[in-house]
Amino acid sequence: MKEVAVVGAGITKCKGRWVERTYYGLSQMAVKAALEDACISVKDVDAVVYGIYNDIFELSAIPEHPLQGIIGMANKPGLRVTTGGATGAYAMLTGYSLVASGLYDVVMCLGVEKATDCFDFTSQTSTPEVIKTIGWSGDTYYERELGWTASDSYAEVVLAYMDEYPEDLADEVSAKITEILCQQAQNNPYAQRYGERVTAEMAMNSRYVVYPFKLLETCIYTEGAGAVIFASKDKSKAMCKNAGVPPIWITGLGASNEHHVAGKDLRHKLMHRIMSDHLAAQAAYKMAGIKDPIKEIQVIELHDAFIKQLQITMAEMGFTKLGRSDDLINEGLMTPGGSILVNPSGGLTYGGHFVGGSNMFSCWSARRELIQRELNRGLIHGTGSTIAQFGCVMIIERRS
Amino acid sequence: MAKEKVIPLHMIPDVGSEVLQIDDERFLQTNEAMFTFFKRTKGEHSPFFLALKERKTILGGRCPECKIVRVPPFERYCPECNFVELKLIEMPDIGVMNSTPPITYFAHSLFQHQVPFGRGRVLLEGADTALPINVYTTKGVLTPRIFKKGTPVKVVFRDKRVGKPTDIFAVPLTELKAAQRKKRGLLESELDWASPKEPKVPKPTRKTKQDLNVVMDQLHNLARDAVKSARAQNDLAGWKRTIQVKTGGGPFVIQIARKKLKFQEGTVKKADFVMVVKDPRFFQDWMHFKDSLTNAIIADKLWISKNAEFTTVFKLDRIPRSLRRR
Repeated sequence: MKEVAVVGAGITKCKGRWVERTYYGLSQMAVKAALEDACISVKDVDAVVYGIYNDIFELSAIPEHPLQGIIGMANKPGLRVTTGGATGAYAMLTGYSLVASGLYDVVMCLGVEKATDCFDFTSQTSTPEVIKTIGWSGDTYYERELGWTASDSYAEVVLAYMDEYPEDLADEVSAKITEILCQQAQNNPYAQRYGERVTAEMAMNSRYVVYPFKLLETCIYTEGAGAVIFASKDKSKAMCKNAGVPPIWITGLGASNEHHVAGKDLRHKLMHRIMSDHLAAQAAYKMAGIKDPIKEIQVIELHDAFIKQLQITMAEMGFTKLGRSDDLINEGLMTPGGSILVNPSGGLTYGGHFVGGSNMFSCWSARRELIQRELNRGLIHGTGSTIAQFGCVMIIERRS
Repeated sequence: MAKEKVIPLHMIPDVGSEVLQIDDERFLQTNEAMFTFFKRTKGEHSPFFLALKERKTILGGRCPECKIVRVPPFERYCPECNFVELKLIEMPDIGVMNSTPPITYFAHSLFQHQVPFGRGRVLLEGADTALPINVYTTKGVLTPRIFKKGTPVKVVFRDKRVGKPTDIFAVPLTELKAAQRKKRGLLESELDWASPKEPKVPKPTRKTKQDLNVVMDQLHNLARDAVKSARAQNDLAGWKRTIQVKTGGGPFVIQIARKKLKFQEGTVKKADFVMVVKDPRFFQDWMHFKDSLTNAIIADKLWISKNAEFTTVFKLDRIPRSLRRR
């Protein structure tokens, strides 16, 4: 396979609602930003992969079709990837594959999502309708009519983990992580909660959405777009020299989708595990030659749909032990100055979560950290679907 | 009586549009909907749902080769055994919770009327996969302490069944009498759904009366601040409720109407629902974002008379935060 580098990235501001832009307009903004970052023209891009999660959010069954011409990619190949919350990560896996295979030299991955156009006219607010829209993602024969939501689905996994490890996931720890993520979001001018201050105490006292998830420890609904540009080794050298930034190499990728039904063994979903994250991370480590992720990875952009899920995912990916995820704070693993920088963008909870492009947002941030802080290696993670069924992990590296 | 519609009529907005102004620019938005009606076949799932509807029976699918028993029988062939056809078998209606079920407190419009509700998975006796199911208690408000991993439960059937997963639900076995536990096809109407009794509050003392006076002053301030906050006004828009609050310092009334909050000491003849809390100082914690009504209900500190009024509780819970973000 050919070597693949990230040569450009751009995102829009994350907003709870973009009245001023449709998803067409948001796409143009992100593409323009990414091309400017890479110092290339759209004419240099061979193909595009779209990450758009939910047809209903965009009110279209083929939401990518109007984007092809609008972003300047008319008459070139384009395909859409949709895998729930992990849409962006899987779109990047696809984009990587197109370049690594040698089929194309330069591929753009564009993730975009509207959300809060959905509106509940009864309560006169968007949130219930957004939850309802995501609710069409659950199993439609056996679960949706029971009240399936993304939150209660992830809560099932977290509660099952708490059944196995009742001493882990202390509320005080989740609240402290929340405070840290909010602080880190203040370094990201694109963050939705930029300018906001949330303390651990506020997080502790915020109301439950779905037990055990509290409002301030739950990802936000965001509208926005993000684009990243991948290029082959030959192309990336010239592009990065021109742009004056180092190429950031994609050295590891892994993905795993679990069964959607819970059962007693691994033939089905083991509810207390997020095996998708575990298996995806192990595959990515193997490809990148990583033996000890704690020592070899400096920055992580983790798909924190919920803070307690972030903790479990960190354990599943080997940064702490299962049952000891509170060590992330208690042992200072991810506190400021700790061994791992987790979600410097503020994550999806405090940075933003425009579903189809959230993982592009994460890639944008991890790449920024590698370049600006001169770090060596970063990890980008996406999770999605019912009961954390889908997991995808990408390793990126800056070579000195 | 009007038949139930697949889309509740009250949720359907009128045709219309509006203009929003941002930084001197005008932007248009229109009322739209994305709707499709279905006559959806249940195909290979039909025997399971027909058995629920017509025979008050739960079916599972047993693989003749690896012997795994899948409940519900969500597939016809076993992917572990070269897709050999599964055999449908009748399952017991008793089992244990596969894990602690989540309880939803903030639901979307289709489920708002039934919050809080639990959605869990039951491992029926002899099953290898867990049956997704709603969980209920017959003893009052659903709180996180009732169902845990391993809690023995019985599947109960709705009186009116249409062939959907909501035709059944699970209740803790300990809430049933011996005869109910044994009975196959137990109906919801055979359960004791006696309403929980309103908790008594202690008689007001001079101290608790003083506490309530302090709280009332602060609540009046909160009501005044809410009028000045666009966020708070948005939280209260389109909502009208009268709430009788009973505390250990005496009663007061919360009124929500025309985007305004009003707090008044005393009682009201007709309230939409009742809140009971022993210590009136709880409302100080609520105002100062140190506690929420939702969390207090979960922790058994606050009692409300109607589960359906959680929607109002959420609206009230947003006010202190909206004022802080003003």
